[in-house]
Amino acid sequence: MYQRLPEWLKTKVPVGANYARIKSDLRGLNLHTVCEEARCPNIGDCWGGGEHKTATATIMLMGNECTRGCRFCSVKTSRTPKPLDSNEPEKVAVAISKWGLDYVVLTSVDRDDIPDGGSEHFAKTIRLLKKKAPHILVECLTGDFRGDLDCVARVANSGLDVYAHNIETVESLTPYVRDHRATFRQSLKVLEHVKKIKPSLITKSSIMLGVGETDQEVMDAMKELRKIEVECVTLGQYMRPTKRHMKVYEYVTPEKFEYWKKVGDDLGFLYTASGPLVRSSYKAGEFFISSVLRKRQQELGVGSGIAEVRE
Amino acid sequence: MVSPNNHYTTKSEGVTINFITPEGDKKTIIANKGESIMDISHTHDDIELECACEGSLACSTCHVIVDPEYYKKLEEPTDEENDMLDLAFGLTETSRLGCQIVMEKDLDGITVTLPSATRNVQLKGSKLS
Repeated sequence: MYQRLPEWLKTKVPVGANYARIKSDLRGLNLHTVCEEARCPNIGDCWGGGEHKTATATIMLMGNECTRGCRFCSVKTSRTPKPLDSNEPEKVAVAISKWGLDYVVLTSVDRDDIPDGGSEHFAKTIRLLKKKAPHILVECLTGDFRGDLDCVARVANSGLDVYAHNIETVESLTPYVRDHRATFRQSLKVLEHVKKIKPSLITKSSIMLGVGETDQEVMDAMKELRKIEVECVTLGQYMRPTKRHMKVYEYVTPEKFEYWKKVGDDLGFLYTASGPLVRSSYKAGEFFISSVLRKRQQELGVGSGIAEVRE
Repeated sequence: MVSPNNHYTTKSEGVTINFITPEGDKKTIIANKGESIMDISHTHDDIELECACEGSLACSTCHVIVDPEYYKKLEEPTDEENDMLDLAFGLTETSRLGCQIVMEKDLDGITVTLPSATRNVQLKGSKLS
């Protein structure tokens, strides 16, 4: 029996001038986004921008073919993706600096076919972007580089502000949900290493709910993240991107997501974004900046007024 | 039960394949020669077969169990297929990846079972179909 998508997961179709402009910028430069390739339900919201926010997109580096085949992800899989575009770092820096953003998220496909996993390409993109637009806060969502911590360090040392890597699900379901090359512990090692070599970096991870996990398992996963000092966590509903991907086990209610937000706050995360449509980079800038501001206000004992974020 | 998605003109161009679903239901499809089991599942809504990597041999989600008689008729799996097959849940001696089995005349009448081995098959709260 087919269960209909709950009301709270219905989103609007992307339209409008901002959407069209971003799309043409990207296509003109032959850039890809995880928004499109992974069929994010928030694409209309983010790309549309609006009266009080700038349109944004999460560029996906290194092509649109990933060497892995995770059961939840609709990004194309290939054992032999196209070679890297050596002009991509420059093109990305140009595109993003045009968009007038304060905060941007970059991500990539996995490239197990490349000796350094694409880490130098990723790092170069960040360096160029920071050079062209030093005022933009940069968050990067990377893969696990097969656990190669030198590759992780390369990206961590490139000048970014927030380093994200997703555990995706709880430990027991990882072998069922993620590609066989990914493991729960390996992902934790990535995040732990970032903090170790660059303590000033904010680290972040994300969990999908609704794939068959128990509450205790989610709690344990969040505690594991806290143990390695991950500061930001996001929780969202797994939504089946196509019929060829794994079924949704459960549609978790908005109220339950509220509960997890409270758990995250109680566990001491700098910020916990939790909701059915929340994704790793969804409103990342807003969440991050507002939580840093709140923290600063607390430290200064200031009740109201905006503290300066930039040093 | 014949699928409504047939798009050939004469029966001799089609080849019959039987699917046994994880719930134990049998569905008979008349497929076209040259279609892989993965292709067939895409054009038939009642056949639920995941193929997370779309046939690029990077996962084992299209794992099917072939009836022994027809298993012998299949070409040997490549090393790449074997590597992925090794990771399949509920692996059997006649297991193959559905994206690698291409329907031909000599496979007419084949039966494949869709394993219920991947952990979360049923949507919580829904009726078993």
